[in-house]
This record gives sequence, C-alpha cells and structure tokens, in this order.
Amino acid sequence: MSMIKSFFRKYKPFTSAGFQDIVAYRANFICFLIGEIMKCFIMFFVWKAVFNSSESETFMGFSMGDMVVYIFITFLTGYLAYSDGAYAIGEEIVDGSIAMRMIKPCSFDMCFLFQEMGSNIFKICVIFVPIVLGVEIYRFALYGAIQITLSAFLLYLLSLIFAYLTSFYINVCYGFLAFFLKNLWGTGLIKQVIIDFLSGATIPLAFMPPVLRNILNFLPFSSLSYTPVMIYMGMYTGTELLYRMGMQVFWLVVIFLVSKLIWKSAVTRLCVHGG
Amino acid sequence: MIYVKDLKKEFKKTIKEPGLKGSIKALFKPDKEIIKAVDGISFSVEKGEMLGFIGPNGAGKSTVIKMLTGILTPTSGICRINGQIPQENRKKYVKEIGVVFGQRTQLWWDLALRETYAVLKEIYEVPDDMYKKRMTFLNEVLELDSFITSPVRTLSLGQRMRADIAASLLHSPKVLFLDEPTIGLDVVVKDNIRNAIKKINEEDGTTVILTTHDLSDIELLCERIVMIDKGKKVFDGEISELKHNFGQMRTLRFELQKAADIDLLDYQKKFSATQDDIEIESDGALISVRFNSDAVSVEDMLSYTLSQVHVKDINVTDADIEDIIRRIYRREVSV
Amino acid sequence: MKRVLKLHSIFIAQYLKRLMEYKVDFLIGATGILLSQFFQIVFIGIIFSQIPALQGWSYYEILFIYGFSLIPKGIDHLFFDNLWMVGYQIVRKGDFDKYLTRPINSLFYVIVEKFCVDALGELVMGIALLCVSIPHLSMPFYWYTIPLVLVALVFSTMIYTALKTVTAAISFWTKASGHITHMLYMTNDFSKYPVTIYNNFVRTFITYIIPFAFTAYYPACFFLTGENPLFNIGGTVIAGVVLLAIALFVWNKGVSAYESAGS
Repeated sequence: MSMIKSFFRKYKPFTSAGFQDIVAYRANFICFLIGEIMKCFIMFFVWKAVFNSSESETFMGFSMGDMVVYIFITFLTGYLAYSDGAYAIGEEIVDGSIAMRMIKPCSFDMCFLFQEMGSNIFKICVIFVPIVLGVEIYRFALYGAIQITLSAFLLYLLSLIFAYLTSFYINVCYGFLAFFLKNLWGTGLIKQVIIDFLSGATIPLAFMPPVLRNILNFLPFSSLSYTPVMIYMGMYTGTELLYRMGMQVFWLVVIFLVSKLIWKSAVTRLCVHGG
Repeated sequence: MIYVKDLKKEFKKTIKEPGLKGSIKALFKPDKEIIKAVDGISFSVEKGEMLGFIGPNGAGKSTVIKMLTGILTPTSGICRINGQIPQENRKKYVKEIGVVFGQRTQLWWDLALRETYAVLKEIYEVPDDMYKKRMTFLNEVLELDSFITSPVRTLSLGQRMRADIAASLLHSPKVLFLDEPTIGLDVVVKDNIRNAIKKINEEDGTTVILTTHDLSDIELLCERIVMIDKGKKVFDGEISELKHNFGQMRTLRFELQKAADIDLLDYQKKFSATQDDIEIESDGALISVRFNSDAVSVEDMLSYTLSQVHVKDINVTDADIEDIIRRIYRREVSV
Repeated sequence: MKRVLKLHSIFIAQYLKRLMEYKVDFLIGATGILLSQFFQIVFIGIIFSQIPALQGWSYYEILFIYGFSLIPKGIDHLFFDNLWMVGYQIVRKGDFDKYLTRPINSLFYVIVEKFCVDALGELVMGIALLCVSIPHLSMPFYWYTIPLVLVALVFSTMIYTALKTVTAAISFWTKASGHITHMLYMTNDFSKYPVTIYNNFVRTFITYIIPFAFTAYYPACFFLTGENPLFNIGGTVIAGVVLLAIALFVWNKGVSAYESAGS
C-alpha cells in the first residue's frame, strides 16, 4: 500500500504539469476541439441525408440513432484514447534530450503517461460530459426513453482505458521510429490515417466486407475505437463482450512488451552513439 | 542621419502566478500589466559614425533597434533615418539599411550560401555589375570564398555570422544595424568580425549601430556609446568622456601573507572617504580595493597599505569600461 | 507584376533545390494526404452501395463536387502553405522580423518562401475524381465553360488564402493563432458535400459567413446544371474579392501591431 502511495506521489508532479500545460494552451485546445467536432457534424448531416434518401429504417443494421452514437462516441473515444506524449519521445530522441529522461529515477513511460493524465483530466472535464449528455439527450428525444445502461457505460469506461493504454504504447513504439525517420509529420499523418481506417474510426467495421472485417476485428487496432464504441452502444453482450475485452487486454500486453523491447534496444543504440 | 526623439514602446503582458492555482486563475481572470520597454529615448547619429548601444539584458536595446529598422511600431515619439520614417514607407526604407540579428540567421538554411545571395540580389534589385563588384568587396573583407558553396546549415557560427553580415551589406545600405554580432563566438573569430566591421565602416562610409553585451566590441569599434537601462538613456557620449569621468577609478589588488591581517586595514577611516570613493572586496588573502584617485592618491594608498601589512604581491590597474558600467548599473544613477 | 512573377519563380526554383534534398519526406507527406482522401472516397462508395442517390445527388455528382473541392484547396496548399507557420511559430518566435527588413511586401515574402509539394496529394486526387466522374455526367457545355472553370478556381483559391491570411494575422496581436486557422480551415470539409444536405443554419454559415460553400458546391453546381451562373460563379468572385480586401486590411494592421520577441 505504501509502495503504491509513494508511486503516486512520485508521479503526481507530472500529472500536475500536464494539467497546467493544457490550461496554458486552453485556447489552442478549445479551437482544435471545435474544428474536430465540426467533422462530426458533417458526418451527422451526411448520415441524415443517407437515411432521408433510403427507404429502409436501417443502414446495414444501423439506425439513425445508432449512427449518431457511433459518430460522436467514436470521436470521443478517439480523442480520449489519442496519445501524443509519444510524439514528444520522437522529438526528444531527435534532439538528444531523451538522455535527460534516462538520468532521472523514474520510468520514462510512466512520466509521459502521468503527464498525459493531467491533460486528459482537463479533456474529460471539457468534452466527455457534454458529448455523452448530448448523445443521450438526442437518443431520448428520438426514442422517448433513456438508451444507455449503467453497465454498458461502466464497461465502456473500462474499455476506453484499455484503448488509451494500447494507443499510448503503440505511439511509444512509433516514437522510437524517430531513430530512423526524419519526417515525423508526414509519417505521423500516414500512421494516423491508417490507424483511423483499421480501427473503424473512418468507416464502421460493420460496413466492411466480411473477410476484411474479421481480419480487422482480430488486429489490435479495433480495440482502439471500434470495441469501446460497440460496448457503449450495447452491441456486444455475453461471451462476445468477454471475448472482445479479452482481446483488448491481450493486445495491450503484447504491445506493452514490444515497446519495452524496443526501448531496451533504443537505449543501447543511444549508448553506441554516445549521446 | 539618424534622429530619435522621445521614443517610447509599451507592451502588454499577461502575468501568470506559479503553480496549479495560478493556471486555474489565469483561466478565468488573467492579469495584464503594461511594460515600458523603451521609455522616452532621444539621440542622434551622424553619417559614418559607429555608435555602440549598450545596456544589461532586457534594458530595451533590441526594442530600440527593432523600431529603428521598422520591425516594431513605436507607441509614441519620433525616429527618422535619412529623412525617412521607418514605418511609413517600409519597403522603400529598408532598401537603405542592412540588419543582422546575431541570434537568428537570415540565410536559407538548407541551401548553399551562394543561393541566398542570388535571391537577395533579386529582392533588393541589385544590378548585375554592382552585384559582382559588391561580392568581390565582401569576399575580400569577410573571406567568404572558402564556404560560399556549402549549405548554410553546415557553417560554423563564425562563418555564419560573416555570411549574415555580407548578406546585409549586399545592397550597399547607408546604415547597418548589428544586434549582438559577436554573441557566442570565440575570441579569435570575434576579432575577425570586428576588423571586418571596421573596414566596412571605413571603406564604405556605412553608419553602424551596434548593440552588444561584449564591452570589448565597443571599446575596439565605437567612439561613442549610448547606454540604456530600464528603457531610459543613462549615458550618451564619447567613450573617452566616460573613461575620463570615471577614469580616476583605480583598482589595487594584493595578496596578504596572513589572511587575518585584513583587520589591520581600515581605509575608510584612514582617508575619511565615502563608500563611493573606496570599495573593498576580499576573498581570503586576496584583497581588491577600488578607489577614486582624485580623493586618495595612488601613492598614499600604496604607502598606507604597505605600512600596515605584509603583502606577497601587489598591483594597481586602471578602471576599464566594464568596471565603469558596472558601477553605473549598480548605483542606478544617471551620468 | 513582372517582378513579382520573377521573384516567385526564383523562390520556387530554390525550393525545388531543397526538395531534392528531402525527396522521401515530401513523398511521404503527399502519400499521407492521398491516402486519407482515398479512405473518404471508399466511405462515399460504401454509402452509395446501399442508396441510389443522396438527397437527389447521384454518386458521380457527389464525386464531382468532392473532387472539385480538392482543387482550390490543393492550389492554396501548394502555394500559400507558409501562412500556417505565421500563426504557429513565425510570429511567436519573433522570426517575422526577417520579413520586415526586406524591400518587398511582407505578405508576399511569407507566401513565396514556401511551396508545399505535399499538396500534390490533394490535387492528384481532385483531378482523378473529376476525370472519373465527368464521363458519367451529362454536363452542359458552353463556349464559356472552360474560362469559367478557371475563374472559379482562381477565386475559390482566393477564399482559402484570404481566410488563412486573416487568421494568421491574428497572431500579430495574440502571438499565436494557428489554432484559429485550424478551426476555420476545418469548416472547409463542409464544402465537400452538397449544401442541400445541411440544415439552414449550417447552410447560411458556409454561404454568407465563412463562405467555403463557394469554393466547391456552388461553382460545381453551375458546371453540373448550368443554372444560375450569376450566383454560383458571381458569388465565388465576390466572396473571393471581399475576403481578400479584408485579409489585406487586417494583415497591414497586424504588421504595425507586431511586437517581435525577446527584449
């Protein structure tokens, strides 16, 4: 117990620093947020037009209400699970200041993780509540009853945490690629576009051809976005729910181990360079 | 040539208190403060003169230079260079000036140095024959030949500075502004750059305004200095005048045989002098006494010291500008 | 004007030299953009696999509008990308000093300094979509169609550039405004689809307030139907000119409020 306490005491300053950072740049943050939410509204209108033009009430098994949940909760999940602390790892590797991390008596990924936790607290305060409320009010207006169940909501939160951690360690791995890549912007764009596609954030996996869908469902990317969103929507139940969350945990562990492996070899590389 | 009258520049600044509380407070109610970076400065410069602009960090030196070069708009006051107001017809005005900021380069980072000059030639519309002549001259003064084909990012700091100065002189400006031209350079390179600046001033008759931290720059290059502190002018005149006013200051340094002997020395009492006239610093057995040779003669000083204590080593030096300036800053007096 | 073109070509030549040094980086950037657009098109394809028309617009009409929207965006991205940097760092770090010590217009100098080949991702995709969609559409063709296409492209690019200029200039007062540019720029995605799918508020907003609808939907609408050239093309021209005038005004005001950095 005291170990846990001292652990949190050690990393608390990082969380506080992360929080202060995002507050200092709040104008940036809010503007980016508005820009991103605009995209959700474009999708909303596109889907409204689709349902207006379609004779059936559902589109490949999704109703308009489902689509709204899908659009906004996918955005929310992606936004909260998004991790750019690892981008900083890349920059620190490029400019050599990563060495400063190594001489401090803390685990470097924990530093980033706790730093990001600070900004995530702010993000949750600012966007989580309004989006979830907005979506549920919309669904209430549409169906005349509350749609979300407490268990679905809590499971979503748990699944979101897995998604965030997986995303964090995927980005840690990507950050290490800075050893080999100069253009972090361009490759970052490609990485994000591909991950958005593979994770079902661009197009729901349900709309994809069965073969592709099965492959993507198995890959780690679906646990970044698609799995938590489906859990929120109550699409997964019983053994399927257990299987999906089990997959999330499985991939989280695998990617965590891969990142440790890369970190080890990165450290030796750093030493070889004498940096 | 250059005429500055009552120039002022104010900035608004948001103040954030430290810590998490400060962040949250800044979120709702940021505090604003007006900072007077330049607070009523006047001076003038003749054609062909080299003027040194000195002052501690944050004194407002760069702000003045930036107003003179048309980068910043003054809050109030007048600055006129060659009969032109920098902000009024900026494009026409900047053709007559050259600017070098020591801390940032104006060269194209990824390209060979030669390319930068080729682009600048077009920007400033320098005719071909003029360009050739100019390049030959700059080459000779700044020795660019050895690296003119290398990409700028591969140049050393000293080479880069020479290249930057050349870039600012390509269009034969009437006034050259140099902001910290020797910052971060080693002694030999500094010397090199100073000689080049001197030569350009002599051969081209370019008026040079120079800001620096390094007082040897000033001593070697300028006849006249303007010193500013906290946005106000504290001295304007010849360096010799400054030296003359403060030149009576001497420093006596010696090493005691026994450190405890220091108690035997009481200069203030002996010469019944004020704190201004005699200052004493000690570091173990090493003593240094700064004194005004008008109030106490060097001879009296020496004989008193030698009569009271046994010394291993002793010497007397003239005050250099650095000393003088330090005194001015410390006492925050105007001259 | 001659001098402007000459300087521009010199800068592009310099830029291309630099490009040769970082070939792979640029290729990667352009590929990223191309890929992200490609997935969007796949998405539209999936929608149309289930419905015959989107509120009266056929698949190829949608592709035409989408493709058209990418071209002014791409041209703006290709030539005027450096405006982003003004809002993100040039002003904040005080690097804008450099642009003010040159005897050319500071806005022109900023713009001309960078030439962003990444934009080829958008341009290639836009042109490809037009090429794919046009054979499937029975578009009216007049002798003035081609000149009007050029006019529409010039003025819709102007809308993009002017909006970026205004938001970049805000940084002269606030130090950084990249986020504002970003926020505004995101609204351009609205113009990829017919404005008829939006509600009145959005429609009014992207027509009269931030007139991105004139960068794609309205001109594309004219080329598709031949209707209402006065509003569809004329509106684009007016929006472009008005915004440009505002942009130049704000920019010039901003330059005199510029505070540089450091002491």
